[in-house]
Amino acid sequence: MTMTYFRATDPFPLQSAEQNKLHEFYERLGQGRLATTACARCGRTAWPPRGFCPECASDEFSWVELPRDGTVHAFTIQDTGVPHGFEAPRVFAIVKVSEARIFAPIVGPGATTVRVGSPVRLSPVRVADDARGSPRYLLAFEPAEAPA
Amino acid sequence: MRPVALVGAGVTKFGVRKASYRDLIWEAGKACFDSLPAVRPRDLEGLVVGSVMPERTAFQSHISSLAAEALGIKPSTLSARTEHMCASGTVGIRYAYAFIAAGLADLVMVLGVEKLNQPATDEAILNMGAGVDREWEACHGLTAPPCFALAAQRHMAQYGTTEEQLALVGVKNHTHAARNPTAHFQKGATLEQVLGSRMIASPLRLYMCSPITDGAAAVILASEERARDLTDRPVWIRGTGQALDGFTLSSLPEDYSRWPAMKRAADAAYRMAGITAKDVRLAEVHDCFAIAEVIAYEELGFCEKGDGGPFVEKGRADYGGDVVVNPRGGLMGCGHPLGATGVAQAAEVFAQLRDEAGPRQVANARIGLTHNNSGMGEHVVMIYGRDAA
Repeated sequence: MTMTYFRATDPFPLQSAEQNKLHEFYERLGQGRLATTACARCGRTAWPPRGFCPECASDEFSWVELPRDGTVHAFTIQDTGVPHGFEAPRVFAIVKVSEARIFAPIVGPGATTVRVGSPVRLSPVRVADDARGSPRYLLAFEPAEAPA
Repeated sequence: MRPVALVGAGVTKFGVRKASYRDLIWEAGKACFDSLPAVRPRDLEGLVVGSVMPERTAFQSHISSLAAEALGIKPSTLSARTEHMCASGTVGIRYAYAFIAAGLADLVMVLGVEKLNQPATDEAILNMGAGVDREWEACHGLTAPPCFALAAQRHMAQYGTTEEQLALVGVKNHTHAARNPTAHFQKGATLEQVLGSRMIASPLRLYMCSPITDGAAAVILASEERARDLTDRPVWIRGTGQALDGFTLSSLPEDYSRWPAMKRAADAAYRMAGITAKDVRLAEVHDCFAIAEVIAYEELGFCEKGDGGPFVEKGRADYGGDVVVNPRGGLMGCGHPLGATGVAQAAEVFAQLRDEAGPRQVANARIGLTHNNSGMGEHVVMIYGRDAA
């Protein structure tokens, strides 16, 4: 007996308004903008964005825009053992944007030449649509200066 | 609280096993029951199973009941599964300990099991991404190696820790594993081999990382009365602690070379046991990557913060040193079947404190420690002793 196995999950989150309270993050990301949540009650800004405030337990929040530019705070290059579908070498970084420490890959020309302190710029990556055809985007940064 | 002891333990061969998920449960159960002939499966009152991802690797949930039926255990007071990624096994031991200490059970098995290797190797690696945050980390292809690589880079920059010192952790643990017939790797490793092995995530090379491994382990915990009844050499649980700093990389303390939650977990366990780090002669620590063991020396109090590199370099973590760290061969030498690891650590301490560890025996050890983590910010520490108090 053979079976056609249906697609249960892939590595990417479901992002649409029907499936995710944080959908506006992804909608902005698709427009090349970076945003995060601020608690509507106590004003605390979060990273990553969240639908529940760990300080005051409020579940009301608003969106605040973050700059598109940041600096590499720490990084590592993975050469082997990256999961299926991702290409090595893969540059994983902690990018400082304002006060937030954002985990994201560095992509594009010069990605493997970044150093701690290198300036990087938001460069969202479009990945496979979800099963209902909604577009999906992932956070990524690219070197802000052309490699020497 | 009532005193609680380990009275039996058994471990399967770890490796890329030609065995099903259930086969591994049978093997660990058999090895554990063989260590305690006075106890039959139906004598146990409870079973806790530590297992992380059988839903993905065996398409199987409902694990505790499956394992109970496989082993002929009829739980009358406790049946549960614990999932806490790489610390699932030790978290299970804590549950069983608390149940017995509280008087809710007298005899409980804790079994850890994982069948990680799949016919498609790619799938095994993809599955490991389930242990980090799907929405903010795993979607980018993150698994554990880059996280610990970030810690290693920071430790090297902050304290001058060298690649060679990291490599020496791999040499030590692979050398220990060569004396352990259940270890995944039994050929040992030289410094040249470790430093020459391929880069996984800079600066961590292959022999500084634990592999993807199948295996299972089981221990039996008993109340004081039952323990004294069943064996003349019980191994007592003297202390336990667990602490968390955070889950995602963005939420952890900014300096990845400091793991304060480990220190808090260890301090709680030491306090409960009435001991200090200096009393520990034998420690099974979570060397998922070489840097994790280096940081463990520091946060567990075996040396000062930042001195982890010189500590391994001078042989202070080996036989003849201050404390024998990972006599079993650690996660790097034995492999790391997630849910099984913490239970296998306990099984090693059980053997060591009963003078049953053969060529791996640590002389005159009266206190043994296990440390299991599930990420850089989540730690569990157990203290075991030959003496009840």
